[in-house]
Amino acid sequence: MTFGRVLMRHVGVPNSTSLAVYKADGGYAGAARALQMTPDDLVELVKKANLRGRGGAGFPAGVKWTFLPKDRTVTYLCVNADESEPPTFCNRVLIDSDPHLLLEGVLIAAYATRTTVAYIYMRGEFCEQFHILQRALDEAYAAGYFGHNILGTGHNLECYIHRGAGAYVCGEETGLIESLEGKRGWPRIKPPFPAVEGLFRKPTVVNNVETLACLPHILTRGLDWWLSIGTANSKGPKMYCISGPVNRPGCYEAPLGLTCRELIYGADFGGGMRDGKQVKAVFPGGLSMGALRGDLFPKPPDGKVDPKQDYDELDCALDFDDVRKYDLLGLGTAAAVVVPEDADIRDVLLNVTRFYAQESCGQCTQCREGTAWMYKIAQRIRAGAGRRVDLDIIEETSRNMGMIPGLSICGLPDGAAWPIRTLIQKFRREFEQRIAAQEPGAAQSLIRRTNAAAYELPVLHGRAVQPAGGTFATPLDVAPPR
Amino acid sequence: MSWRTIDRRTAAEQDLGPGLNDAVKEKIRSFFPRYPTKRAVLLPALHIAQDALGYISLRAMRELAELLELPPSAVLDVVTFYTHFWTHSRGRKTIVLCRSLTCELMGGGRVREGLEQRLGIGEHETTPDGQWSYMTEECLAACEHAPCLLINEKLHKGVQAEDLDRILVDPENDHLDMPRSTLFDAPAETKP
Amino acid sequence: MPKIIIDGHTIECRSGIPVLQAALEAGLAVPHYCYHPGLSVVASCRLCLMEMKMPNPKTGQMDWAPKLFPSCQTPVRDGLEVRFRSDPVRENQQHVMEYYLLNHPLDCPVCDKAGECYLQDYTEANGPATSRMVEDKTKNPKKDIGPHTLLYQDRCVLCSRCVRFCDEIAGTGELAVVGRGSRCEIDVLPGQPLENPLQGNVVDLCPVGALLDKGFLFKQRVWLLRSARSVSPADSRGQTIWIDYNEAGIHRIRPRYNEKINEWWISDEARFGWKHVHRPDRLRQPRIRQGVALQPARWEELPGLLRAPFAGVAACASPAGPGGGARLAQPPSLLGRGQGEGQGIGPLAAVLSPMLTCEEAWLLAKLARSLAPQATLVLGHVPVSGHDQTYPNGFTIKAEKCPNRRGVETILQHLGGPTASFQEFLAQAVEGRFRAAYVTGGYPDAWVTDPVAAALARIPFLVVHDLFPSALDGAAAVQIPGAAWTEREGTFMNCDGLLQPFERALPPLEGVKADGQFFYELLGQPGLFRAQTVRETMAAELPQFSEVFIPRDLPKRAH
Ligand SMILES: Cc1cc2nc3c(=O)[nH]c(=O)nc-3n(C[C@H](O)[C@H](O)[C@H](O)COP(=O)(O)O)c2cc1C
Ligand code: SF4
Ligand code: SF4
Ligand code: FES
Ligand code: FES
Repeated sequence: MTFGRVLMRHVGVPNSTSLAVYKADGGYAGAARALQMTPDDLVELVKKANLRGRGGAGFPAGVKWTFLPKDRTVTYLCVNADESEPPTFCNRVLIDSDPHLLLEGVLIAAYATRTTVAYIYMRGEFCEQFHILQRALDEAYAAGYFGHNILGTGHNLECYIHRGAGAYVCGEETGLIESLEGKRGWPRIKPPFPAVEGLFRKPTVVNNVETLACLPHILTRGLDWWLSIGTANSKGPKMYCISGPVNRPGCYEAPLGLTCRELIYGADFGGGMRDGKQVKAVFPGGLSMGALRGDLFPKPPDGKVDPKQDYDELDCALDFDDVRKYDLLGLGTAAAVVVPEDADIRDVLLNVTRFYAQESCGQCTQCREGTAWMYKIAQRIRAGAGRRVDLDIIEETSRNMGMIPGLSICGLPDGAAWPIRTLIQKFRREFEQRIAAQEPGAAQSLIRRTNAAAYELPVLHGRAVQPAGGTFATPLDVAPPR
Repeated sequence: MSWRTIDRRTAAEQDLGPGLNDAVKEKIRSFFPRYPTKRAVLLPALHIAQDALGYISLRAMRELAELLELPPSAVLDVVTFYTHFWTHSRGRKTIVLCRSLTCELMGGGRVREGLEQRLGIGEHETTPDGQWSYMTEECLAACEHAPCLLINEKLHKGVQAEDLDRILVDPENDHLDMPRSTLFDAPAETKP
Repeated sequence: MPKIIIDGHTIECRSGIPVLQAALEAGLAVPHYCYHPGLSVVASCRLCLMEMKMPNPKTGQMDWAPKLFPSCQTPVRDGLEVRFRSDPVRENQQHVMEYYLLNHPLDCPVCDKAGECYLQDYTEANGPATSRMVEDKTKNPKKDIGPHTLLYQDRCVLCSRCVRFCDEIAGTGELAVVGRGSRCEIDVLPGQPLENPLQGNVVDLCPVGALLDKGFLFKQRVWLLRSARSVSPADSRGQTIWIDYNEAGIHRIRPRYNEKINEWWISDEARFGWKHVHRPDRLRQPRIRQGVALQPARWEELPGLLRAPFAGVAACASPAGPGGGARLAQPPSLLGRGQGEGQGIGPLAAVLSPMLTCEEAWLLAKLARSLAPQATLVLGHVPVSGHDQTYPNGFTIKAEKCPNRRGVETILQHLGGPTASFQEFLAQAVEGRFRAAYVTGGYPDAWVTDPVAAALARIPFLVVHDLFPSALDGAAAVQIPGAAWTEREGTFMNCDGLLQPFERALPPLEGVKADGQFFYELLGQPGLFRAQTVRETMAAELPQFSEVFIPRDLPKRAH
């Protein structure tokens, strides 16, 4: 089956961000159709389409909308454009090339959920994207797609862009809500779920950019078209990202179910590895979903999946189900980063642990302390002072955090546990070799000298970054502001 | 236990830093209609304040608290949660370098070393001429162009250590001088 | 009342509370940090996790769910079955304790909280004995965050109780969490210190030794302290407190849970309002006027010395009129005064300070009336400062800064006869209507203003029973040292009529007699003064005094 791009059809089209170009291509027809339906029919349609959230959790959008209380008076829609999962950039590509597609999706979702105020929570690092989207929004307002009495239907919708300021956890839906309310982005305890009590304590829907961008196409192209794309439980097109040392890093649209190998090697996708290197590891769904072994490892002789064995795992299909067979957390954002054969796995571990130590919001003990401890250990391993027992400690720590075992408020530590644990498990041999190759006694002599100070930020000149000299060393003050 | 005690009870006048002028406050007020609570304006307000002052001074925190009817510590709380906000002054141009996995695999570490060497500063510091500050940040969501960095608001893609000499003297950078942002001009759309 | 099953035991509990609270009230020692019944639930420490039975989606049977739940966030409902005694729960507790200790300085030997620190207790019960972290610990400087409080940042477990207290109870929000992740700290905005009138509570709230009281810093180890149940005299609300003391005296005051009044908190006035007890200038000896000076006297002399003149004055108060003074059987030194008063012979007055307990006020009133049926009973000076202050969750600090105005009033009303307010009494004193008066004070602060001193100076035979020297010293014929409330026992009736007993913490100062005991002796009663006995006799006449309210003590670690 040939697959025509829909979400990315405007990539590379000149002036694609303008309303004129978008409309010339049938833009806002989906919204017009939606506004003819009743909100309930619309929800029913999206439920039938089994549109699963593209933000990471894969929860069906239509079902989420039905959780809204029937007797609500105010509903908010939050658009999750906080794309901060490394190495994901599909939302950015979408906004860059087709902001009106998102806006149309917002309009449809708002109508379906009877929302009159929508906030687009956009990460602070998106600067150009902010301008693009704001211009598009202004245009759409001027054309009557937002504001009062939209297209004469009597439906009202205000839409605002709210910029974040650099915090991964604000992508978590309740963290996002707290952040929107002007607080630190500390995720809330659930229940109550946002659909019941969310933004400003009112029923709230949080959806990802790409999830919403699918809506206009479902309406214009119809349910049958939608259901014909993808695999059994994973319907529709998906924007896959591939980055790292491949020939064609970028974002590519494909039906759900693309295999990891295709994504890296397919001529239409990653186009193979640079310089003919082999793949050591790949994080296929954003960091948080965990790692797969690459083709540096032998293929499984019988083709069977066994994540415990040292086999190539690139045949993992990137949909909502197959990933689990490979001991991944889920599909995540379907953004793959390739680790080439010559990368030091300790560097990868260091980078991954630092990310979560840096981004843990600090509420839950297991997440706050666990991620920081794993980072400290990874630093030491990288410095050549690792011990085999460190690998066990990291693995144990990674098992003792997360929402799945009920040990934390949000899903961030699950997302931390999976990549870290899969790295340790699947690449343990390399770690052990590296440790064995350390200078004898290195661990003992270096343990005290490697200290975690690299990611310290000045907290109002408060936190003294103590050099590893012991208690009596003069505290190192943060450099005085100029 | 640490032996040092820092005084939080008093703040010397000179440590309070600059305050917000009326235009800035007016701009912040123009955001009130967007949200049902004043507190929700805090994040936009901090962006505006940082665009105006370069960083969020203690005085600005107090003034924002007053403007938004919050306890001053609530502003401190939010400012320090988000990495985008600086609590001490910084240079005219801020480099935000990505340090996440793709960028690092693609040579981000060398860019970082090159940058620190050329500027002679560490993270969160400012060059003596007041031109540059730099910090690292997690994934900028531009991984296909790794390694990448932001200079003020401009994304530089595929930056290798060798490119730094060129980028650092590029006069284009100065066009993005502070106050530089139109991001928080009052909403263009005037709504009924 | 719902019934829930914890570890196989059915317990009955109040409805609407979290499982954790039910467990704590049932006496189970469930470790927890962030939960506090007086604050909002954040469920962030993840230490109180439990297993819960839920319908298995596959079989529909009730089964242990394959994950843990925060017991502080799960409300009780009838038939709920949970367990804390299981491997997953215990393992989680062990892990969390290990995490807490990763960066915690092991400085218990120099930490004031040692002995009442949750971290110590939990580590002893659940934690690992050694840390597996070989890297250096994070070390932070101390922060001076307010007039009473020091923050030892590196001991903090980030339970955020203190922050929630300032937001929710005090409503002032001085404290904030700053930073993110493992760099989170508690802080104030520089120049905006923690100084609300309830600030002291954050020190009690803090489960570890991060927030410490400057006044108590390095003073005592808590296991050397004993605690007495007391009621604060700081205002008329009757906040219940623990007085922590030992042979060396009082060291601190902590809130005593009281569901009717102050719940888990007390005001700073109540907390820090004990310093006067140890002021060096406390009166320590009864003195009587001989010539111009007050000279030391023995307690044993006093009943004789006082009863006779009072009785004499009372006799003169009869229509027989002036001149009766000559018949008074009193020491010449006492007779000497008052002669300049001309015809100012008036009745006897007893000024009952609202700092007295109900029992003491009763005894003194009875004494006065037994000597002189027409004695004027006066409600003493009622200190008032500002207005009542009510905080967001309803905590109130009363403007009336004395504990027992209502109790004294109740007694005066009951006894009837000539009574007067303090102002009326002063006015009458100025007119010279009193021949003798027994004035009680007991206030922590100076209360004798110039007009008061001037008015009282007109009373020929003035007995002053007070804690400190004052402007009345020159006018007093007899000066009796009082005992502070910490050295007495009795009951206070708060502004809403709630009668609350308190215990004695310290013995009276050397040379001082407890007020009640002295009144007992004046009345000629044999034996020891016991507040309870007196109260029982009072109750026979006055039913308001038959019932006292004693808040229940909370189980240890249940706040
Ligand atoms: C730590 C964490 C970070 C997240 N970050 C994002 C994000 O950056 N963008 C996003 O769309 N969803 C993110 N999510 C998922 C959201 O919580 C939520 O599931 C999603 O926005 C729902 O939208 P959807 O149903 O349309 O996918 C994150 C979740 C967690 C636990
Ligand atoms: S799990 Fe981690 S990121 Fe999520 S709320 Fe808890 S501490 Fe914050
Ligand atoms: S200072 Fe104490 S009360 Fe406050 S968060 Fe830390 S441990 Fe909790
Ligand atoms: S990893 Fe650098 S931009 Fe994503
Ligand atoms: S007490 Fe329940 S999570 Fe802290």
